[in-house]
Amino acid sequence: MHAHIKQRIESTINNIAALPTMPEVATKILNMVNDPEVSFKAVAEELSKDQSMTTNILKLCNSAYFSKGKEITSIERAIVTLGIKEVTNIVMVIAAKPILDKFVIGYDLGKGELWKQGLIVGTLAKKIALQKNRKDIADVVFTGGIIHNIGKTVIAIFVQNTYNDILDEVKKNNITFNEAEKEIMGYSHQEISEKILEKWNFPPVLKAIVRFYAEPDKAPDNFKTEVSIVHIANTISIMAGIGIGSDGLYHQLCKIALDTTKITGPELEELFSKIPELTKQIMEIQ
Amino acid sequence: MNGSLINVGVAQVKTGTQPAVLRTILGSCVGICIYDRMKKIGGLAHILLPNDTANGANPEKFADTAVPYLVQYLLKEGAKKEFLSAKIAGGASMFKFEANVSLGQIGDRNVEEVKKALQKFQIPILEEDTGGNTGRVIDFFLEDGRLKVKAAGQEKIYYKV
Repeated sequence: MHAHIKQRIESTINNIAALPTMPEVATKILNMVNDPEVSFKAVAEELSKDQSMTTNILKLCNSAYFSKGKEITSIERAIVTLGIKEVTNIVMVIAAKPILDKFVIGYDLGKGELWKQGLIVGTLAKKIALQKNRKDIADVVFTGGIIHNIGKTVIAIFVQNTYNDILDEVKKNNITFNEAEKEIMGYSHQEISEKILEKWNFPPVLKAIVRFYAEPDKAPDNFKTEVSIVHIANTISIMAGIGIGSDGLYHQLCKIALDTTKITGPELEELFSKIPELTKQIMEIQ
Repeated sequence: MNGSLINVGVAQVKTGTQPAVLRTILGSCVGICIYDRMKKIGGLAHILLPNDTANGANPEKFADTAVPYLVQYLLKEGAKKEFLSAKIAGGASMFKFEANVSLGQIGDRNVEEVKKALQKFQIPILEEDTGGNTGRVIDFFLEDGRLKVKAAGQEKIYYKV
């Protein structure tokens, strides 16, 4: 363990200003839609206050990825046509993009790789939820999938300094890259992700997804399905080389995630085989 | 040289002539680089799965269809079979894969099928950087057919053509 690295990470995460920021409107909307009593008028009003958000929402509503065919020209129409939850998904895509769409040193991810992975994992996670008749969690796993690696953007600089030690630890102790991150730096990127979401005031289910997506066996029971779905989606993505960085495939696929979601071997392979088509789908919102 | 960098996506086949560089990023997928050393043209196929399950609808996705697809394209462009050689990379596996499902062996299955497909055309595999648990970024330089493989923070260059 490098004590000085741990200290530097601690001072980074304790310094709110050093963590990425989420537009206020995004957090507001995310918490509003969790309230079953929320009126679509209230959501529309909140979104309309933010002009650039409104413009971006309308653009994405009419992209092939989100469009339902009819052209949408106002936030009200967007909510009526696509539903509050889908509009929230769009808001999250818009809000997360500037944070994730960058070169990530340390993990050796070229510009856009982490962002592309977020979109693929979110899209795959939603697909799995729908396939398993869990429409109720399809939107939250979409958002969770998009931001599941957000902590990497903050911890990457420290991975850059300790990469060889982390990799040695992986091989010496037969542990995953994430586990070795914690051994060497005192923190894993998942813990940093959780800190970021705490700063943003995000709901507990999303905090559970980012914290436990790599180790669903440790996820709290009430969110185990959501976490497991993102775990599987992430595994498929990195196996296909999407968002794969210097941490490679030094990760695990937990059986518990397959048992929890009741996903079968053939289903898993089928999802993997759909990666090229999904890559085309996300191109427009990338 | 950067001006001629061509990115090859998952389940894509791209070809080019010198001085182009073909680049792709691999996990369990396999990158098949075929080069004609006389004509200095070549192509890279990034396959996802070993065997065609789409009845030919998506030849670039599978080892057993992407190899013939790429070879035929190169021959049509004037390459000569006797001057063709191949280098392959990728086919990594998840470090820990608890479940006993076929996807766990997809990297090995991909490598095996690629070898079979190349053998059918009697194209020799001169270099192979496969297996393990690392992701790989590969650059295939069409000026001389060399292959640069970046994995786990280290670079290796394979020159044989």
